[in-house]
Amino acid sequence: MTWDYIFVQVANGAVIGIIYALIAVGVTLIFSILKIVNFAHGDLYMLGGYCAYYFIALLGAPPLLAMLLSMATLFALAIVLERLLLTPLYSDATERKDEYGLIITFGLAFFLRNIAVIIFGPYPLKPPSFIPGVQHIGEMTVTNDRLFAGGVGIVLILALLYFMHRTIWGQALDAVSQSRESAAIVGINSRRFNSVAFGIGAALAAAAGALIAPIFSLAPDMGVLPNIHAFVIVILGGMGSVLGSIFAGILLGEAENLFTAFFPDPTRALAYTNAFGLLILMVVLIVRPQGFFGRRHLRME
Amino acid sequence: MLVQGRRHVGSKLAALVGGLVLVSTQFVGAPANAADPIKIGWVGPLSPPGGYAEGVLMKQAAELAADEINAKGGVLGRPIQVIFQDTRGQPEEGTAAAERLISQEHVVAITGEFHSSVFLAEMEVAHNAGIPIIAVDVWALKITAKGYPEVFRVAPNQALIAGKYGEWIAAAGFKNVAFLYEKNDGGQSARDVMLPILDKHGVKYDVVGADPSATEFTAQIERFKSHSPAYDFFMAAYSLAGAYPMMNQSHTLGFAPTAKTGIANSGGPAVDPTFWKNVGEGGKYVVTEVVGLPKNAWNDTTKAFVAAFKKKYNHSPSPQAIENYDAMLLLADAIGRAKSTDGKALIAALEKTDIVLGRGRYTFSTGHTPDWAYHQFMDAPVALIQYDKVNQDAEDAPIIWPRDIADVKYLYLKPGQ
Repeated sequence: MTWDYIFVQVANGAVIGIIYALIAVGVTLIFSILKIVNFAHGDLYMLGGYCAYYFIALLGAPPLLAMLLSMATLFALAIVLERLLLTPLYSDATERKDEYGLIITFGLAFFLRNIAVIIFGPYPLKPPSFIPGVQHIGEMTVTNDRLFAGGVGIVLILALLYFMHRTIWGQALDAVSQSRESAAIVGINSRRFNSVAFGIGAALAAAAGALIAPIFSLAPDMGVLPNIHAFVIVILGGMGSVLGSIFAGILLGEAENLFTAFFPDPTRALAYTNAFGLLILMVVLIVRPQGFFGRRHLRME
Repeated sequence: MLVQGRRHVGSKLAALVGGLVLVSTQFVGAPANAADPIKIGWVGPLSPPGGYAEGVLMKQAAELAADEINAKGGVLGRPIQVIFQDTRGQPEEGTAAAERLISQEHVVAITGEFHSSVFLAEMEVAHNAGIPIIAVDVWALKITAKGYPEVFRVAPNQALIAGKYGEWIAAAGFKNVAFLYEKNDGGQSARDVMLPILDKHGVKYDVVGADPSATEFTAQIERFKSHSPAYDFFMAAYSLAGAYPMMNQSHTLGFAPTAKTGIANSGGPAVDPTFWKNVGEGGKYVVTEVVGLPKNAWNDTTKAFVAAFKKKYNHSPSPQAIENYDAMLLLADAIGRAKSTDGKALIAALEKTDIVLGRGRYTFSTGHTPDWAYHQFMDAPVALIQYDKVNQDAEDAPIIWPRDIADVKYLYLKPGQ
């Protein structure tokens, strides 16, 4: 076992963790504002990857521009979806809002996954690399695409944190997340911020999809595992905590990667990776039921 | 009024009697009208989480076969109609699909499927109903080993495929193999067949199971890479979309294919139309299997099928596609010879199959030794190919095994050789 080996495994884990975090912060944002768990989030991540692919393939856009265009497209699409499907959540006439949110996002996930097979075709697609090539660290190798994905992921997460804490729109979102009625009293249009939150969440998922596409290839079902991971991360970090999602995302990415790299039985390490993530979740929930950064009482109102 | 009333009652009675006659004919089975289609069921994955890329190719081939049969006047003077059911790679969906096909659509036979675990569920339904079912691209041994008279298989099974890999790995001189398989019926079956052969030849190996939905293999590949003594061959049995990132990651991380370590993937994705778009340079030197005739042995049916498929769908057919095409023609042939669509008559006719189609001369074994031989197409072609150029069609890649049909002198081409 060399230091190079440890370093490369930690670096790979960090990159995957950042991608996880990028997806999970969107789920958290949507949960905080709309009070629903978006089970279609992984499928928005898939759509984001495909959008970036077609911006490159059809318009000849450079990969980074394609990622930004994909984020804008998914932002707009998410607002349309939110307006079309989620407005009953804001109506007093809807009795079981939690159940409605659960069913509608599950339905949306299946719809998007299956429509993707029809529109994009069943065969995996791979866009060109952001930066072709690899970096050698001693005997080990890290691809430029992974380093790029990690770097851009960090920039996007920092931009989100800046937006949340340093801009008037971010503070308005925070206000809506704490109390819809109180926010309305001070003149914040909560319906508009529902759309904004759903749009930002989808745009971040789209960025993750575009960043991961040259590494994993695109497939209509690529959002299934990230959906599960995002849900695990959101609970681990504490429902509603953006910082918690970032921390838990990176932790889960690292934990899974290092488990595969160092689990004593090499024949079972890879097969048990996902189970190990769930084991961490169980242990954390036993010790700290509200998650790392969660509050005991989720709903202020 | 009375007369009108009688007439009214009379017309009601006539309608009732007419209705009863109609209903009764439904129950006793009206003679088939010449225009009534003969329904054949098709099962396979057409949407996630199944192997829908392969499923779509198989469906296209079945459609092409049905079109061709119908263009020639159908069978027994009736057209063929294929009823497609998406099983999504889920055994419970397979059961439901087979039940729908048999009880609602009244199909006379079923064909298709890409996942062994799903086919194992479907064949139970067909067995209970006495309806013949032809397995198209499922490799688990127990499918035919169960000995159900209704079950036939046109695909080679793992004994015929993984067995070839095992013998080839030993013959090519590899000594230390990293074996990665997907944890499902297909992958585990490959493992169970291949490892005893490697043992027999004294080849060392380490075995790693992976979730079939996995796409991140970096940590595992780094682990393989740092293993001492170094592995000289990376054998993967991976049939789903994760095969591409796995091969990509293996290539970009410098594990395999390299001058030090060779690579093979068994399961299908390495012969799919988008293989090169996903794997690029990493696909050169990859070894994989082709379950159709090698190009130098193509007959007229194979050539006609490939040309028609390319013309209709604008891409090359996969080996799974030609398996499904042949399965449809086999059923049409059996119905024609049986002169009936009765299940038992069809099974008897299928057992007597002797016809040359796109994958050679078909016969089905009726012996039970070994147990998987029953109703297996024993001469199902299997060849190992190795890509020696980027963007090479599978049909143009050199055949390296078995040696009697190999078209190159070497057993394995090392990168840089």
